[in-house]
Amino acid sequence: MGESLRQRIDLLLRTQNDDGGWGYFPGKRSWLEPTAYAMLALDKHADAAVLDRAWHLVESWQLADGSWRPGADVAGPGTWVTALGVHLCCARGCFDESFTRGVAWLMGTQGRECNWLARFIGLLQGMSKPGGPDNDVSHRGWPWLRGTTSWVEPTAQAIMALKMAAPHYPGVADRVADAEEHLLSRRCRDGGWNYGSRRALGIDLPSYPETTALALLGLQGRSDAVREEIAHARKLFAGTHSRLARAWLAVALQAHGEQPPAPEDEPNGDILLAALEAIAHPDGNRSAFRVAGGRA
Amino acid sequence: MNRRKFVGLAGVAAGAGYLSMRASKTEDKGPDPGPPGKSPVAVLKAASYDEDLVAKIREGAALCGLDVRGKRVLLKPNLVEFDSATAINTDVAVIAAAVAAFRSLGAADVRIGEGPGHRRDTLGLAEEARYLRGIPDFERMFTDLNRDDVRPVDNFAGERFYFPETVLGADVIVSLAKMKTHHWAGATLSMKNLFGLVPGAVYGWPKNKLHYIGIPRAIAELNRTFRNTFALVDGIVGMEGNGPIQGRPKHAGVLVMGQDLAAVDSTCCRIMGIDPAKVEYLRLASRIGHVRESGIEQRGESPAAVRANFELIHQFRDLRLA
Repeated sequence: MGESLRQRIDLLLRTQNDDGGWGYFPGKRSWLEPTAYAMLALDKHADAAVLDRAWHLVESWQLADGSWRPGADVAGPGTWVTALGVHLCCARGCFDESFTRGVAWLMGTQGRECNWLARFIGLLQGMSKPGGPDNDVSHRGWPWLRGTTSWVEPTAQAIMALKMAAPHYPGVADRVADAEEHLLSRRCRDGGWNYGSRRALGIDLPSYPETTALALLGLQGRSDAVREEIAHARKLFAGTHSRLARAWLAVALQAHGEQPPAPEDEPNGDILLAALEAIAHPDGNRSAFRVAGGRA
Repeated sequence: MNRRKFVGLAGVAAGAGYLSMRASKTEDKGPDPGPPGKSPVAVLKAASYDEDLVAKIREGAALCGLDVRGKRVLLKPNLVEFDSATAINTDVAVIAAAVAAFRSLGAADVRIGEGPGHRRDTLGLAEEARYLRGIPDFERMFTDLNRDDVRPVDNFAGERFYFPETVLGADVIVSLAKMKTHHWAGATLSMKNLFGLVPGAVYGWPKNKLHYIGIPRAIAELNRTFRNTFALVDGIVGMEGNGPIQGRPKHAGVLVMGQDLAAVDSTCCRIMGIDPAKVEYLRLASRIGHVRESGIEQRGESPAAVRANFELIHQFRDLRLA
């Protein structure tokens, strides 16, 4: 294990909360997002007891409707982190009733722009615009919260979770394929992804590194369709100063067969970042976000 | 399309949800008379960021009767996106001066917190905006409000909402806003700046839930929920045109301060050449603060004396103050 990876693993092991989870920062209460990434980063780098304690906490956060709440302090409703709950079920090989309810919740969730009224309004607005509608709303993505609009990050996370779940939950393939089309339809003209839209108010939007990385993770198995986008991700990796962006881009490029260099900076106390940088390390958990076979 | 337009449009990357975010403009009904009494608002000239801003902020706080002795003060800048070609964020000089001013006024603790709407790497964004270099000990003082621990608050827009502990634990929240036009709300000033108090870890990036509540209503609800506030609007260089991100820098040369955020924003509107009575969020806010001129006691400069008409996009031309 290289020094860079060791520093991050040590930080994660030192900062696990008594309840088994991790906060976004040391000493803070546990949230599902940093806990999920810490568990994925520590796979094969920690005792089973460490991961079991974390998993028991995550299991306890599943709500009656099958969704997961985002953290210790939030009673509900469940949010996009349900995708991470399902992701962890798959990573741990727990294909039980909890898994089934989580997948069912994801399958029953879509962006609000997909309802008939929003589509009708979008159609009317699109007809009145010289360049046509800003966004194709015929494909279903996922929102951060039910009742709101689809965005790239929750859509990409849900796609990954469902692709992992597919061998153990029949009937997800069509939804995954539709969501992939959703992501592909939201590609920006510059070759990456914005937060949710490719155009707004009739004008093209720029892409961002983190969202481009996450979209490419969601589109594993579609390398044929995203060759230019992978090249764009390489450029973003070389050009961004954001450590979070570099970590996500490294994970995404790994998933598409490349190996960017390991991070050189020391961990800065951001647990989510340390976990992602550990996963992105050449000796990190290469299977953390890898979707076997790509498409469901 | 140039870099500025590209970066700016990131802020309006509101997915298909933008369809529901309609511009909020003129309503038939004018603002309410507001609460009893008058609200003092200080307008102080500051030609550039090189002036003694600490002294200006101390003067403004005194003119508005603000007492922060022994209190925990949270400074909430407007940190949205970075583009060196324009003026999107609260200038680092104003934040650094606010830290020094509130400390010198006897605050027990001064912290800085922000939860940007889209960007998840808040510290990285702060670095781009020169906050790390320009504000001594910034990292120790700073809380990423998107990822802070949270507690529930009941009856926010009719439901339970979660807010960061850093926000709920502050005695005074200082909205360190930027004077800007806004392509959906008309103007974004100290009241809308409170959108950054809502945690992304619960509501996502962006906080799309607020858009579905309705931008004017969400602004009013945030300001009804958090009453322990003080506004300090950076209008030294603001933004006109297609704000809040892709507009052009506009020099107004003022700092505007006060404890009644509706009164501060209404004053800013008058300086910008916008009729506050035609801005829907201010009409809603007139139930908790003063929007009408008759309810505002202007201290320092009068808004008319420093008026600098900000260019308005076509959809908002009817907001122009006569």
